Amino acid sequence: MDIAKLDQLAIVLVVAALATAPLVFTSSYAIGVLTVALCYGIWATSWDFMSGLTGRENFGHSLFIGAGAYTAGFLNVQFALSPWWSLLAAPVVAVAFSLILGFPTLRLKGPYFALAMLSGSAVMQNFTIIFSTYTGGQDGLNGIDPILDSTLAYYYLVLTCLIATTVILKLIANSTWGTILRAIRGDEASCQASGINVNFYKIAALMISAAFAGLGGALYAHYQLQVGPDLFAVVLSINIIIMVYVGGLGSIYGPVGGALLLSILTESLRAFSEYRLWVYTLVLIFILFFMPQGLIAPLWRRIRKAAA
Amino acid sequence: MTVLLEVAGLSKRFGGLHAVKDVSFSLQAGSITGVLGPNGAGKTTMFNLLTGFLPFDSGTVNFEGRSLAGLAPHLIVNRGLARTFQLARPFVGMTVIENVEVACLAPRVRHEGKAKQRAAALLDQVGLGDKVDHLVDVLPYGDLRRLEIARALATRPKLVLLDEPFAGLGAGEIQPLADLIRVLHRSEGLTILIIEHKLREFMQLVQEVIAMDFGEIIAVGTPAAIVRDPRVVEAYIGTSEQAALATAGGENGAA
Repeated sequence: MDIAKLDQLAIVLVVAALATAPLVFTSSYAIGVLTVALCYGIWATSWDFMSGLTGRENFGHSLFIGAGAYTAGFLNVQFALSPWWSLLAAPVVAVAFSLILGFPTLRLKGPYFALAMLSGSAVMQNFTIIFSTYTGGQDGLNGIDPILDSTLAYYYLVLTCLIATTVILKLIANSTWGTILRAIRGDEASCQASGINVNFYKIAALMISAAFAGLGGALYAHYQLQVGPDLFAVVLSINIIIMVYVGGLGSIYGPVGGALLLSILTESLRAFSEYRLWVYTLVLIFILFFMPQGLIAPLWRRIRKAAA
Repeated sequence: MTVLLEVAGLSKRFGGLHAVKDVSFSLQAGSITGVLGPNGAGKTTMFNLLTGFLPFDSGTVNFEGRSLAGLAPHLIVNRGLARTFQLARPFVGMTVIENVEVACLAPRVRHEGKAKQRAAALLDQVGLGDKVDHLVDVLPYGDLRRLEIARALATRPKLVLLDEPFAGLGAGEIQPLADLIRVLHRSEGLTILIIEHKLREFMQLVQEVIAMDFGEIIAVGTPAAIVRDPRVVEAYIGTSEQAALATAGGENGAA
């Protein structure tokens, strides 16, 4: 079978499965779980675009998510703007944060970028509590308006955003830009010796990554109708990194699969009640131990190889 | 002949160590020049200063009459001064052709388009035409050296600095690589500056040799003259290089 055809078939099947899922699992709980899973998909693939391609690990992706979500909350709750504005404003604010942290630290060798992102998200989490008059403190901002009245329709809006995000990021990753970003991962000095302005590409990649993470944050906020300090939490960033590794680092589509798989798995393990974390952790250990390259993308590469 | 590169009073200190000390020389367009000196003589540091990988403390570097002082490495490459590294530094995880494509995307040559075709042609030129789709991770060391040269050429340089291109090569690999460099020099009119040790093939390749020791230029001359220069011989005395140098000089003199 032709590889390109095989890819197309897989894309059609996955999109069809995601489009029909809420028609099969119709409870508002199930649609909620699926909507959140799609948000994780946007976060994971946007993390992968920067860190998977360039190899500069970002340990504070939640900074962009929280920035996007709180932007949505502020505009909607404090300024009573139409929730549609959130989808525009959230990426802009997230990109501003990426510039503040990325511009000074991505130019340096060493762990400064990773540490700045990690501490940046922690600082913002504290700020939401310190400035509780504006942010609502631990309770966060409540009473955010939904973008669409029907949860089913909103699911399709988030799905459209996830598909658009993945397609855009994959197209960039397959272009000459992607070649340069992967070269940065290979050897920065050699990139410079090849006449490439590595700082420009690293900062631009982070800005793109932040824009989509912020969009995902706003989508999440308008699903939950509430934002809280946990959206800046380090544990959220770590969960996203785990999803990317399970999906397959640097593949863009793999992390979407990893995010859907792990977030749905977490929910479906509720039946195990207190053993839930045990099962989840064992599954993770199994995957990372036996498939250190990840599950989704390497598996798909193997299928393609077998078909060729 | 026109002067392509003019270096005057170039100096660099690392704390108490004067790694490069008041180095002055110039390169004519179309020349092929060697830099010779024992380990720690400051050869690679000088390359790093010329290519912007390290800032220099004092002195001037003019390339085509324009100063390179304070320019970032990628800007210097886009002026037409490319380099290779002493230890080959490929983009791991990528294929051979992708490695060269990256350099075809430098602003200096990007407008030409067709990065893939250009990369393929360059790989043919350096003798890696049959390995374009191999991952660089599995490439033997000799091929990595050729890949480094292809990558440098991809930016269409006027001057290439080669840092020990023969290091780590087997006896059979040295002559073919020397031939490749000679072809690039003659047919492409490329100006070349090569750091290397003693090697006979190296001495036959270059027109002029700059000998360095303790960060300073100790002698400049033709390969035949330089190996007999008492200061150069003295720089190598007590090192294992001495015997090899004498051999190289003898054979070169006989040739």
